Amino acid sequence: MDLQTVNANVSRVPFFRFLNFEVQSLDSLHAEAEMTFETRLIGNPVMVLYHGGIIASFMEATAAIAVHPEFAEVPAKPINLTVDYLRPATKGPLFARANVTRKGKRIASVSVISWQTTREKPVAEGLYHFLLV
Amino acid sequence: MAEITKQKMEQIAQIWNARGDGLITHMALDIEDVSNEGVQVRMPFNPDFCVDSDQTLLHGGILTALLDSVFGLANFVSIEGVSAMVTLDLRVDYLRAARSRSDVIVRAHCFRKTRHIAFNAGSIWFDGHEDAEIARGTASFALTRGDADLFEVMTEGKAS
Repeated sequence: MDLQTVNANVSRVPFFRFLNFEVQSLDSLHAEAEMTFETRLIGNPVMVLYHGGIIASFMEATAAIAVHPEFAEVPAKPINLTVDYLRPATKGPLFARANVTRKGKRIASVSVISWQTTREKPVAEGLYHFLLV
Repeated sequence: MAEITKQKMEQIAQIWNARGDGLITHMALDIEDVSNEGVQVRMPFNPDFCVDSDQTLLHGGILTALLDSVFGLANFVSIEGVSAMVTLDLRVDYLRAARSRSDVIVRAHCFRKTRHIAFNAGSIWFDGHEDAEIARGTASFALTRGDADLFEVMTEGKAS
């Protein structure tokens, strides 16, 4: 699956357009994406920080693409998630890398990290489950 | 348990409704009920938050964002003397496909607060379908206690 096709799929999803991100690399078990900062993604207007729910949404989107990059109509179905918030995410690009830990017949487990300056200093990490049937 | 004063209610609504161009403004949230026992908030249907081209299925992420925001509000309402508050962790179960063009209702409360941590739980359903929850979440928040009340900090931020 080439990146151009995946990003064309991404651009058809209204909420993915709202988040405004681009898939930058992809293989059978990983996906990496970059999100552009926009004022509508702010959670704390006083300190200009990304909304925690937006970080979780971006990580969920990246995880869904890692699980099922060639989705036709809607992305992979999420079951649940757990997110740890490690550092504030400030104005600027945000990155996410999703790693499919296990992909069975019915369920996939995906771990995701999100960072800004360096991936050694993650802003959040999350675990996501998807239903494949 | 002490009820919230009318003045604080009005100030909460004022802050909530004037939060710049951020996500909470974009979600167009409307506070329906506030007390020390919890808060209830309405989010109007917004096609931007959908995943399908027909725009009838909400993305899970917006439900997560909604829970995070409303947990913050519930803490803000029920905890005094907090100068800062950040989400430590968040867990969300998506209970059924969020397919509807109805408004979304969220109810959340703080079920335990300590000096440093607040614990929250909340549920989401489509207006009129409280018996069919679409998501449920829990979270913990790290609190920073200080002389400057979170409410006062934000009010000052707005005035300057």
